Formats: sequence, structure tokens, C-alpha cells
Amino acid sequence: MRRPIAIALVLLSAIPLVVAVAGLPAHGDPSAPVHTHVSAHYIERGAEEAGATNLVTGVLLNYRGLDAAGEVTVIFTALIAVLAILLGTGTTPESTASSRGASDRRGADRESTVAPVSPIVSFVVRLLAPFIALYAAYVILHGHVTPGGGFQGGAILAGLFIALAMVLGTRAMQPVARTALAPWLQGAAVLSFVVVGTVGAFLTGFFLGFPAEPPLHLVRELLIIALEVGIAIGGAAVLATIFLHMEAS
Amino acid sequence: MIVMLWHNIDYVASVVLFSIGLYVVIAKENLIKKFLGLNIMETAVFAFIIALGMVEDGRPPIMTGDAQGPFASPLPQTLVLTGIVVAVSTTALALTLIIRIFRRFGTIEANELREME
Repeated sequence: MRRPIAIALVLLSAIPLVVAVAGLPAHGDPSAPVHTHVSAHYIERGAEEAGATNLVTGVLLNYRGLDAAGEVTVIFTALIAVLAILLGTGTTPESTASSRGASDRRGADRESTVAPVSPIVSFVVRLLAPFIALYAAYVILHGHVTPGGGFQGGAILAGLFIALAMVLGTRAMQPVARTALAPWLQGAAVLSFVVVGTVGAFLTGFFLGFPAEPPLHLVRELLIIALEVGIAIGGAAVLATIFLHMEAS
Repeated sequence: MIVMLWHNIDYVASVVLFSIGLYVVIAKENLIKKFLGLNIMETAVFAFIIALGMVEDGRPPIMTGDAQGPFASPLPQTLVLTGIVVAVSTTALALTLIIRIFRRFGTIEANELREME
């Protein structure tokens, strides 16, 4: 009974979408509005103006730097919300007898179904770990020249951390996760935007401004790399922390 | 219209993906499956925006010395990067809420949760 209603609703939304899509400019048409407004300017002048050969990085960190700052704030806020939900005391409703019994039973089921880590998986992950870390560093530090950047490299770093945690057990990760440095790593993305934005304000008069004049344009590249590294460390730390806390609960 | 649909088959694919996601959100009772459906819808939107930015015979917008146009538009790719980060954040938050719901009620099936009220 539920399925026909769902299909009807989906068709109701899909038909207008298909009609709208048919009315768009043809795919790949160079004269479509998406290619003729700001994009044309970015492609023509972006490499000199933004200081990054990879225009995606240039647009992300320079033209739309405030947007990226908001983005790292979003992911940091997500971490705060996750920790608040998972670590919140929640004493009153959860201590009712019936629900306690249900979750205990489910918890016991889960314990018994955890499979031991295969030695092959364990060996391969530990063998590849340094190479994955090297690749992440390359993606982060070379992100303004070739495809890549802070978010992408940070995701690779977090993936490496999570793979290691799966193989070695989260207990092995505690020395890294429980240091006094951990909050600074989690906030690294936001902090790097604050620092680089303030430096930019002193150099150009605008928050997150990047100097484009000849004597200072090397500083601009350094600032972009600093942002990339900050985003990568912050993003990786946030993802890894969320994983560790979900695993622990 | 059929001709235009054939020219815009990339966009139609996004619509199909979006509809699959919407169906999962509506029809499935499991909260994690519902959220997977939402993630499929997000992916469809990202694919749509990226496809919009592509140009015929376009190259990646990386301005090395000898790069020749036409270049794909860098702006949609940047916007999608932002969108992916937001999608990751919402996914993490939703999974956390689902963990919390499971701890309290012992189930994540929406119909069972409705019966408990």
C-alpha cells in the first residue's frame, strides 16, 4: 500500500524535473549562461588574479574565500553537535527499565557478531599506510597546481586514520586522539582561516585578502598553502574524531 | 522535446538518480536507509551541477603554461566541493542522532518508533 503512493509521489516530482531539464541549454553548449558570466572571467584572468594554477582552488580559497571559511565552520559545528549528542549525559529518559533492556540485548548481539580482522587486510593496510599518507600530503600541498586540495587530502588522511583504527583497534589510536593537541587539530581549519584572513587584512586591507602585486605575490602562494594544510588537518581531525566517538558508543 | 532530452541525457540521469533517492526516503522505514536515500539525492544534485559546468571537449580548468581551451567551468566544481562538505556534516549528525535513537528505543524502524508513541 505504501509502495504505490511512494511511486506516485516520485513520478509527480520527476515529471516536472524532466520537463525542466529538457528546456535547459544543450549539455556542453559553450554559449550557455553558466559559461559566459563569472566563469569566463575566472578562466581568462583567474590564474593571475587568484594565484593558483588550479582554478578550482583559486575560486575556492581566493574569490570565494569567505564561502570556504563558512564551509570549515559548518564541518567544525557538525563535530561539536556530534560530540554534544553522543557525550551528552542523557540520564533521565535512557535509564527507563524497558529501553535499557532492549538496548542491552541489542548490544550483546552486536558484541558477538564482531568479526576478527583478517590478517591479509591487516597486513595490506599497514603496508600501504605510509604510501597513503604520502599521497595525502601530495594532494594537500600540490592542490593549487594539480587537482586536489585541502578537503580532498584531508578526506584521504581521515580515511587512512579510520582504516588503521579498524585494523589495529580504536584502542591503539587513543594516544593520538587523547592528546592535549587534539582540540587544536580539530579546530585547525577554522584557526587557519582566522590567521590567514588576519594576515591578509594587514597586507591588503580586506579580511582574507591576498596580495596580488609583484613583491608580495609569493606570500600569496604561501598563504594559500597554509589554508590548504589547515583545512586538511582540521577536516581529517574532525572526521576521525566523529568516527572514534561513533565507534565507542 | 524528445530531441532535447537526448541532448541533455546527462541531466536526465541526474533526475533519475534523484527520483531513486526520493523513493528510498519515502518508502523505506529504516532510518539509516532513509538517510542513504537523502545521500543519493544529494549525489544527484552534485552530478547535475557538475554536468552543467562541462563544455563540449572541455579540459579541466588547470592553467598550466601550454593548456588550451575550452575549459570546463571551475565555479560549479567549487560549489559542489562546498556541498559535499555540508553533506558529510549532515550525514555525521544524522547518524549520531540515529545512534541516540537506537540507544533510547532499541530500534531504528520508523513504523516501530511510531507505534511506541
